[in-house]
Amino acid sequence: MIYLDNFRSTMVAPEVWEAMRAVATEEYAVPAAFTQCGTGAAELIERAQSRLATFIGATQNEIVFTGSGTEAVNIALLGSVRAQTIDKPEIVTSEIEYPATLAVFKALEKEGYKAHYIGVDGQGRYDLDQLASMLNEHTAMVSLMGVNHMIGTIEPLAKAGDIIAEASQRIGRRILYHVDFASALQTQRLNVDTIKADLVSFSSNKIHGPKGVGALYVRKGTKLRPITFGSESYSPLVPGTPNTMGIAGFDKAVELLYANFDGDVGQMRNLVNRLATGIQERIPYILLNGPEGMERAASHLCYSFLFIEGEAIMMFLDMEGIIVDTGSACAAATLKPDYILMAIGRNHEQAHGSIRFTLSRYTTEADIDTTLVKLVPIVERLRAQSTIRPPSQ
Amino acid sequence: MAIKYTARVIEHFKNPHNIGVIENADASATEGSPACGDEITVYLKIDKATDRIEDVKFQSYGCASNIATGSIITDLAKGKTIDEAEAITWKQAADELGGLPPVKMHCSVLAVDGLRSAIRKYKKDTKGIDYDSALDVKTVTEELKHVLWPPVGVDIVTLQMVKYIGIDQGAVSIEVSINSDDKFLDPTIDEIIEHVSKIKGVKSVSVENV
Repeated sequence: MIYLDNFRSTMVAPEVWEAMRAVATEEYAVPAAFTQCGTGAAELIERAQSRLATFIGATQNEIVFTGSGTEAVNIALLGSVRAQTIDKPEIVTSEIEYPATLAVFKALEKEGYKAHYIGVDGQGRYDLDQLASMLNEHTAMVSLMGVNHMIGTIEPLAKAGDIIAEASQRIGRRILYHVDFASALQTQRLNVDTIKADLVSFSSNKIHGPKGVGALYVRKGTKLRPITFGSESYSPLVPGTPNTMGIAGFDKAVELLYANFDGDVGQMRNLVNRLATGIQERIPYILLNGPEGMERAASHLCYSFLFIEGEAIMMFLDMEGIIVDTGSACAAATLKPDYILMAIGRNHEQAHGSIRFTLSRYTTEADIDTTLVKLVPIVERLRAQSTIRPPSQ
Repeated sequence: MAIKYTARVIEHFKNPHNIGVIENADASATEGSPACGDEITVYLKIDKATDRIEDVKFQSYGCASNIATGSIITDLAKGKTIDEAEAITWKQAADELGGLPPVKMHCSVLAVDGLRSAIRKYKKDTKGIDYDSALDVKTVTEELKHVLWPPVGVDIVTLQMVKYIGIDQGAVSIEVSINSDDKFLDPTIDEIIEHVSKIKGVKSVSVENV
């Protein structure tokens, strides 16, 4: 299998699996207990907190593990606005956020929060002037993302952080800034002080860790109200028995991520460029969705293949053992074209033939070359069958 | 909740029967629109003495189930008289494929519509039978039976989601009852507009969710 859908989820690295197995069968005690095994489990969590904290410029106690990236986003957004008392509260995000953020915003809108959605340019970059114009004394929180999950746009987080800091100073109160870093962690280095974030959420399964575990960075002093309740022996913010097996796996995944970070990202960059060049040279009538070159994450490549439909391309590739994703309405449970492609100005027809390739550090040159060899005839064949003809024919 | 295609859908998607164009076709018709989603064109070669479909081909700008239903309905139509072929239903097409996921049922409607339109065009051209019926509530209702509610794959008329149809000098106003934050609301309204707009005499369509 050639797996080029690594944004959706990644393979659990063999070393990660081994770390999880050891915890599941040997260090299974609850971390709160004053026993040898209980202490071992507590230390395991502390190690994991420290490691992630070190790599993002934070301190150990600023990291809390959650049940998923989605849960981290929920705690960050719901927890931060509910801990504040603001007259006619407003919240700000963009129209191209990950579904978790947009769903929480929808829920908060129903609770009476006024939500603003900033627009993006044709490459999916945030309109920062619009962001600046939306911040005022009613703003409770801003939520943005590091890398767009569909088209790979690297977003200007630090500039947004400056704008939020300036607005906070102007109104005399900190406007909380949450960053969804789940799709960025694989390819972007992060320093929470550089981007001036108060809250950053992460997901283990995007970096070869297990599913069912995420993390949230909470800047010291940031007030959050819990959204679920239970035993607080691990954390009042994430009550209940912590998933030590998942945390150990996530920790190992973080260790592996940074073991050869620049080398791995460089290799992904070469491979994604090889795929892009191969597609450009061999397939006419295509549109790149998202920015060119270094402004796009090394993990992402999204093309629209005109005159044909994306689910059909995806299915044919699947039959060849190549796994990709599409933004076509036909493949969506809602029968709507991908909202991110629509936000960057694509029409239904252009979104219809979109295919997203997302790489990982395990992707090889042979994977890319095989994908190109299989993709070209699939596109040609579907075009020959299509009701729509390229203008030249 | 897995959305899965049957082996027969995959087989017809992979190796579609009757794909292509008939040059000098006796009739052809295109249904759907690239602006909203899938599109299909059906070409017919008809023996004028017997009214039998000698050859039928199709092209598709669509997903796997669209291609598969195009393949199966052209198989079903080949060798049949035009009256027999006109009677083929989308349910029949879906059944021949061993079923389709509910959310994909509209693809079989599109394929059957393509076949029917081509046959009706032929009947109109050669026999003067005009299918363009008067614009009335009945015609609009019949057309709305081609709009399926994706979660269950049943049409919105049968599901009693259509609450009102009003017609005033070509302006059609339709009221439907769908949960306002239902994810299928917008695509379903688009589909209602697409279907009703093509009825002869319709100048505008407005859909309101009540």
